[in-house]
Amino acid sequence: MALSATASTGSSGTKDSGFGYLVPALLLVAIFFILPVLMLLLRSVLEPEPGLQNYATLLGSTTYLKVFLNTFIVAGVVTVISIVVGYPVAWLLAIMPERWSRLVLAIIILSMWTNLLARTYAWMVLLQRTGLINKTLMGLGLIDAPLPLVNNLVGVTIGMTYIMLPFVILPLMGVIRSIDPAILRAAALCGATRLQCFLRVLLPLSLPGIASGALMVFVMSLGYFVTPALLGGTSNMMLAELVAQFVQSLVNWGMGGAAALVLLVVTLALYAVQLKYFNPNRAR
Amino acid sequence: MLLDFEKLGGLRAFLIGLTVLVCLFLVLPIIFIAALSFGSSQWLIFPPPSWTFKWYQELFADPRWLYSALTSLKIAAIVTVLSVVIGFLAALGLNRGTFVGREALRALFLTPMILPVVVLAVALYALFLKLGLAGTTLGFIIAHLLIALPFSIISIGNALEGFDKSVEDAAVLCGASPWEARVRVTVPAVSHGIFAAAVFSFLASWDEVVLAIFMASPTLQTLPVKIWATLRQDLTPVIAAASTLLIAFTIVLMVLASLLRKGQKS
Repeated sequence: MALSATASTGSSGTKDSGFGYLVPALLLVAIFFILPVLMLLLRSVLEPEPGLQNYATLLGSTTYLKVFLNTFIVAGVVTVISIVVGYPVAWLLAIMPERWSRLVLAIIILSMWTNLLARTYAWMVLLQRTGLINKTLMGLGLIDAPLPLVNNLVGVTIGMTYIMLPFVILPLMGVIRSIDPAILRAAALCGATRLQCFLRVLLPLSLPGIASGALMVFVMSLGYFVTPALLGGTSNMMLAELVAQFVQSLVNWGMGGAAALVLLVVTLALYAVQLKYFNPNRAR
Repeated sequence: MLLDFEKLGGLRAFLIGLTVLVCLFLVLPIIFIAALSFGSSQWLIFPPPSWTFKWYQELFADPRWLYSALTSLKIAAIVTVLSVVIGFLAALGLNRGTFVGREALRALFLTPMILPVVVLAVALYALFLKLGLAGTTLGFIIAHLLIALPFSIISIGNALEGFDKSVEDAAVLCGASPWEARVRVTVPAVSHGIFAAAVFSFLASWDEVVLAIFMASPTLQTLPVKIWATLRQDLTPVIAAASTLLIAFTIVLMVLASLLRKGQKS
């Protein structure tokens, strides 16, 4: 105790709270993150004239309402599919022999690390009218005419699920791995059927992981820009595209700022829920 | 028994079947792109009528592709160095600091990672227009540094958690200056965290699209911006060629990372 006190006093000559180390990062974040975001929000209530009319327009028109609906529906559907499909995979990954799980993990990580545009390009090609998926389905005689799979929300949902799946599988795998198999053996010994074991033991025990994974995917999907812009077409806009469009094409900083604030508030609120209820650091 | 691989019974076949399908879903588009990049069809017919290198020739014949790749590389390299250095200092402060509000600051530093990138992009773009930083390399570096830094703080912070500070203090007691002790004792001890921070920071910048679209100018484009701009025009197989090279690069990085991890264990 005395030794470490001497050493840390010696390191700076004065009492060192360690705050100095944070100065470069703090400057960066203050000047280039907090300041510009605040300035943008300020513009949303000041341009073109002071008042809340930007928010009134944004929340009062059916055009923008459709954008909000699109955003929440796609994010919701992507979240549900990712959890329903991802959970069994995470389950198997948690218990299968290591040589196999390593292969599956390599595939998941490869897909995660592959450039986002390359992956989205793949889906643009696969889903187009003359693409492989439509051709295969027609070849099998399942459909007569090509399905519209791209430039609509179906395409966006497929492309986003592809991106989000790894973000569900990896944390869920960790959660399921940390469950003691003896608990399930005990449940079975006490006469629980497989279904009861699953519904009343395994699922409740993995629920914190499911909730936190779902929340993360939902938040990430809400603010996604690239995939909706490329797979969704111009008539099926999502919120992030709306923000970009206000600024880039319409040069309307007031509306752009207002749309950004809506996105920001929803995201930060969900992030706060995540921190409060599912913080891994606090759970420990 | 639901967590015993051997005793899953019929459920096991279901789980394995689903996992195989998900693996195919994840890996087939990547293989598909690689195959198309060697296919001769302009219209991306699959399977391709014949095989060719012409999309790669076209890719390398256009100096803008190479130039944008070099721009990406330069920006990502600078961002990596800055992110590791600033991230190391910040992680040290967050790990050892005794000041109030440490947890709040940690959350603040990680926020750029959670925030929708488009909000950050639009906000920075507005500021950079005022400061004259829009369309400059410096603007790019600042924007990418903001999203790379959280990765460094997390990776190095985790490594510091597992490092006993008294080892550093011992070096100081043995006559090293505090900074000498940090550089020659602490930095090597957390080198795996620093390596992870460098890889993640590099990829965060190298693959970043949204900020880049706003920071770019007609004369200053990173590789993702070039791909984005081309994609908005048509689905030319040249993008398949560029994507395949990017995928190959990713695999090389993954193999390197796993080799290094193995080397550290032994």
